[in-house]
Amino acid sequence: MANKIYDMIIIGGGPGGYTAALYAARAGLSTLVVEKLSAGGQMALTEQIDNYPGFEQGVDGFTLGERMQQGAERFGAVTELAEVLAVDLAASPKVVYTSEGDFYARTVVIATGANPRHLGLPREQELTGRGVNYCAACDGMQYRGKTVVVVGGGNSAAADALLLSRVAEKVILVHRRDTLRATKVYHQPLMKAQNIEFRWNSEVVALQAESKLTGVTVKDRLTGEESLLPCDGVFVSVGRQPATELVKGQLQLDDAGYILADETTRASLPGVYAVGDVRTKQLRQVVTAVADGAVAVHSAEEYLAELN
Amino acid sequence: MAAVNIDKIRFEELMKGELPVLVDFWAPWCGYCRRIGPAYDKVVEQYAGRVEVVKVNVDEEPDLAAQQKIEVLPTLVLYRGGEALGSIVAPGSKAAIDAFLQEKLGL
Repeated sequence: MANKIYDMIIIGGGPGGYTAALYAARAGLSTLVVEKLSAGGQMALTEQIDNYPGFEQGVDGFTLGERMQQGAERFGAVTELAEVLAVDLAASPKVVYTSEGDFYARTVVIATGANPRHLGLPREQELTGRGVNYCAACDGMQYRGKTVVVVGGGNSAAADALLLSRVAEKVILVHRRDTLRATKVYHQPLMKAQNIEFRWNSEVVALQAESKLTGVTVKDRLTGEESLLPCDGVFVSVGRQPATELVKGQLQLDDAGYILADETTRASLPGVYAVGDVRTKQLRQVVTAVADGAVAVHSAEEYLAELN
Repeated sequence: MAAVNIDKIRFEELMKGELPVLVDFWAPWCGYCRRIGPAYDKVVEQYAGRVEVVKVNVDEEPDLAAQQKIEVLPTLVLYRGGEALGSIVAPGSKAAIDAFLQEKLGL
């Protein structure tokens, strides 16, 4: 259909995006979700989610994502598998330019989430998938019986090291500080695991490779000494980066790149809402993303009522 | 339309066929392989009649995966006349698969 104007376009099909879609479609708004790959976002790669209520045995993130999509589609939300190339959020109607064509809407929900932060080392990009990894749950199985390095000291680094310790022969955790930032529940299992070694006060300063990774160079932050750590793989777990490239220059962002929006999810332009990990907030979880999705539709309904 | 899993025998048949063949080498335990599923199924539909778009479960066809030198999952390999024209590892979107096919086949 040429130039159909949706009431709401949601960019990103994670838990925040599909909850907004559910609430919008259920409220009778014409709703389009633009997702580049498949429902779920970051949680689609999480094998087991135990802190989303209602699943007493836990649930895998991919399945939860699919169910959220089906729930929203039951009420008429439409999914377009497309990559968003650009947006014009100040225009009326707002425009979303994608690999499958241009789409128009009165309101736009940004639910683009976050991606793993990179180390920023030479050759990191070309070695991704050839020894450099960002997701232990996805790529860990390739390292059965091998030696891997995990970089980072937060919850995801701790979880990755534990997961990998069950697969790999040896796991070496490299962390900049002398203690983990990870919550206490991780400390004991990590210390107890026979095959996890720690390199405290250390950072990875270079990747060693021919066609594949063969090791990393680690620098001791106290002595300045560099040493070579041979390994088959490195898992980078040094935090996340909001996916806000698309809206830069159109919406106000904080210093870390997150979209500035309070609990109403209203971004700095009227009719634009930020939900989930991409928004400035205290706690980035599936449950808080889902809550944002519902609130965004509430805010959007107020805005649409004023428009009419 | 869901992509069909093929075995070594069907793979050999397709290699002798007229159409180019896109193969997604995947495994059930590979999280990212599941993620590209919906986009890959859409590729099946969109290129019907122009490209044979199929899947190989490397756990069920380890010899075929080894013979095709598959090291990372998921890897998508494009063949024509039995020759590999190129491959992409873990494409980030359906658009990335489209761009790969268009570049290699000039579609």
